[in-house]
Amino acid sequence: MAMLSFERKYRVRGGTLLGGDLFDFWVGPFYVGFFGVTTLFFSVLGTALILYGAAIGPTWNIWQINIAPPDLKYGLALAPLKEGGLWQIITICAIGAFASWALREVEICRKLGIGYHVPFAFSVAIFAYVVLVVVRPLLMGAWGYGFPYGILSHLDWVSNTGYQYLHFHYNPAHMLAVTFFFTTTFALALHGSLILSSTNPPKDDNVVKTPEHEDTFFRDTIGYSIGTLGIHRLGLFLALSAGFWSAVCIVISGPFWTRGWPEWWGWWLNLPVWR
Amino acid sequence: MKTVGAIVAGVVALFLTIAQFGTAGWTRPPMLNQQHGFRGTGMDVIQTKAGAAEIKAANVAPVPADPVEAGTDKAGAVYENVKVLQDLPVEEFNRLMVSMTEWVSPQQGCTYCHNTENMADDSLYQKRVARRMLQMTQHINTDWKEKHVGEAGVTCYTCHRGNPVPAQIWFDAPSPTRGFIARNNGQNLATPSTGLASLPYTYLQDYLARPDPDQGAIRVNATTALPESPGKPIQAAERTFALMIHMSESLGVNCTYCHNTRAVAEWSQSAPQRTLAWHAIRMVRDLNANYLTPLTSVFPASRLGPKGDAPKLNCATCHNGQSKPLGGAHVVEAYPELAVAPATTSGPQGVPAPAAQ
Amino acid sequence: MAYYQNIFTQVQVRPRVPEHGIPVAVDARVGRPFNSYLFGLIGNGQVGPIYGGYLGALSLACGLIAFEIIGLNMWASVNWDPVQFVRQLPWLALEPPLPKYGLKVLPPLNEGGWWLIAGFFLTASILLWWLRLYRRARALGLGTHVPWAFASAIWLYLVLGFIRPLMMGSWSEAVPFGILPHLDWTAAFSLRYGNLFYNPFHMLSIVFLYGSTLLFAMHGGTILACSRYGAEREIDQIVDRGTATERAALFWRWTMGFNATMESVHRWAWWFAVLTTLTGGIGILLTGTVVDNWYLWAVKHGVAPAYPEVFGPIHDPLKATGATP
Repeated sequence: MAMLSFERKYRVRGGTLLGGDLFDFWVGPFYVGFFGVTTLFFSVLGTALILYGAAIGPTWNIWQINIAPPDLKYGLALAPLKEGGLWQIITICAIGAFASWALREVEICRKLGIGYHVPFAFSVAIFAYVVLVVVRPLLMGAWGYGFPYGILSHLDWVSNTGYQYLHFHYNPAHMLAVTFFFTTTFALALHGSLILSSTNPPKDDNVVKTPEHEDTFFRDTIGYSIGTLGIHRLGLFLALSAGFWSAVCIVISGPFWTRGWPEWWGWWLNLPVWR
Repeated sequence: MKTVGAIVAGVVALFLTIAQFGTAGWTRPPMLNQQHGFRGTGMDVIQTKAGAAEIKAANVAPVPADPVEAGTDKAGAVYENVKVLQDLPVEEFNRLMVSMTEWVSPQQGCTYCHNTENMADDSLYQKRVARRMLQMTQHINTDWKEKHVGEAGVTCYTCHRGNPVPAQIWFDAPSPTRGFIARNNGQNLATPSTGLASLPYTYLQDYLARPDPDQGAIRVNATTALPESPGKPIQAAERTFALMIHMSESLGVNCTYCHNTRAVAEWSQSAPQRTLAWHAIRMVRDLNANYLTPLTSVFPASRLGPKGDAPKLNCATCHNGQSKPLGGAHVVEAYPELAVAPATTSGPQGVPAPAAQ
Repeated sequence: MAYYQNIFTQVQVRPRVPEHGIPVAVDARVGRPFNSYLFGLIGNGQVGPIYGGYLGALSLACGLIAFEIIGLNMWASVNWDPVQFVRQLPWLALEPPLPKYGLKVLPPLNEGGWWLIAGFFLTASILLWWLRLYRRARALGLGTHVPWAFASAIWLYLVLGFIRPLMMGSWSEAVPFGILPHLDWTAAFSLRYGNLFYNPFHMLSIVFLYGSTLLFAMHGGTILACSRYGAEREIDQIVDRGTATERAALFWRWTMGFNATMESVHRWAWWFAVLTTLTGGIGILLTGTVVDNWYLWAVKHGVAPAYPEVFGPIHDPLKATGATP
């Protein structure tokens, strides 16, 4: 079995949320656990349904495969399998698989005695997905508002859903989300660079540097160094904010705003101080 | 000092947040589901049920005047100085005049256009404008019936809505700033005409004022995958985008009402409404160039724009936030005289020169 | 369950004398360091000192000139009305020259000349800042990974404002300076070139952007989760692996069957972030120069899906009437 040199001593029993010792084992490098079984169930079923959907569709071209949600006329009811029902079941499978995966991460955290930051972070991503395919369709009153499962078709959905509000860049939550995405990437570049530059010094000075060097570099250049622990808090905060505001920007589009997003800015122009 | 600054910043932020929640115009479900393309493409009209009801209530066609029994006397024979509706039976003519008063000047009454001491007198500019507008209405209901207005047709009320001057008119935008400071390119101002986007606000005069010799002026997409000839600049795309925002907002719809926006230019993926809209652009150009702009000398200065141009119409003038004006009511059915070809197609020059006041 | 997840620093430890920094040959550090309680909640409490130096001073000066030119032009466009300046600030912009000027080096100031001057100073400021980053890294004996990552962002900036306009033969192709106007430009750019979503390099750039965010969430989360074992001391962990690294590695190995090392995760991070702007720049550079309509390009290469027709066939009325487009 593929095990790292130090891995044996960490492979201990316990930490499970459900199932006790029953599923408390590894397969190759993977930890299984009760939620590993449910993950497998949902992902195999979901993938099989996607393949089935592709098979009854017009193409096997990976870019063009499209499993679309139901027509709006079905509202919040179940649709016939070949007219969106497949999309509905796949959505259930996806949520089941994602949630199982997050809970499996929790079990692994408990087993390793570490914090729950990763499963929490993942749950923000799941939240964004659920907002897209469950919460917003519920608020709008039809499953048909979910996005289609297809590499290019989901981009077409994004395009049209954006232009439903004429100019989506004016959506204030979208602005925040994009800013957080860019800032996260910027911060990641800086953090990755700094660690690599400390541990990979130039050839003429072949000594690995210290966190003091890192702090000094950022104090020298911008006057502040957030520090070794702080950068990971900042990075996690920025990344989760990006996901959170993405969810907000789409859930307000439609249920809580139906006009062009540029018009939203009217409140600023009409503030009593200068109207 | 730092504390005071923090408190001030906090209060301002709180105030702005409250203002934003309170005054931006947020809506809430339930929604009206209106799909406008294949499922999952996101081609939908987005409206709340309450919003749709509100717009419907704000766009109710007036009840047509009771029919009258038409005699044999023609208006042109009974009245003096009838230029457009000479062949209309006098009873029908009077009925239309009453309806026009209700449609256009319910507060001001007949005297808005007529000198009551001599109804034939053309001294009021309103009357000379109204005559031309009657011809325009006939022109719309005949020459543009097939291509745009269909059986619904238009009456004076479609635009006027009980106002002597329709609410939704437009003038040429003031010239961009000049001098040492940078021009603003006719864009980058917060103006309702672009739906508050910072897009160019000169698109109406660029695209809707006159029949465009270049029928493809609005089209900015390349028609080939690879560059084969010099393409259009991004500024042209911004102007087209501004026009499209205007059309969407005028009709209370969004881009996906006509387009699959993954390929905005592709007709084969568009909705049939795009063809209607394409003709509508030509119609608006025709009306502005041949009916409204020639009235510039008839209007008093107070009715002209900042650059001395006549008031002009755009999509919102008739549509007023609805995809079909007045809910698609067949308003012209009760007034067949408005759906006959205009007797004369000449401009206001056809009417006698303004009489000395 | 209810143990501390290390979200905030609960006890802030401060040295009696703030750190001045690693000694360098030429020390131009300025400013008296101070401690901020709020900063200390998340990261280091110490703010400052900063390295002065002529590169930084020149960069700031150039940046300030660009900022002033842009701001004053915006203010002028509302006829110097201070209230309207604040009210309409997000809408205001300094626009590049009109297409008729092509690549003219200095069109009239009010028709794009100011834009070119502002662009020159902003570019100078950015390049000087790059030099500053490079010099500071070398002075401390660090690798030059930070400036090279920054160079990738500069690449995208230069493509947008300089290289692509050069290749298109017109400054008018460049981005305006303005908050909402640059968003309009972005939307119009996508509309003009047949939907940027179909640009494969745009796709890649977004994959790396989202991937970077995912990576930072994964990495930040992992380090924080293992911080009770000292995971944030990454350099120590890289050269001398401890239980923090082992737990972090095993977490991912057990979760997804694969793990990075304490060092390699930063290589993943660096490449994802750097490739975001690198591929983005390539995507912009190809647009209009090599490909004129990305949707048609995608159709040509069998990428665009086809949807069942909902409406009857719709034809271009211009072609139907036999008119020329």
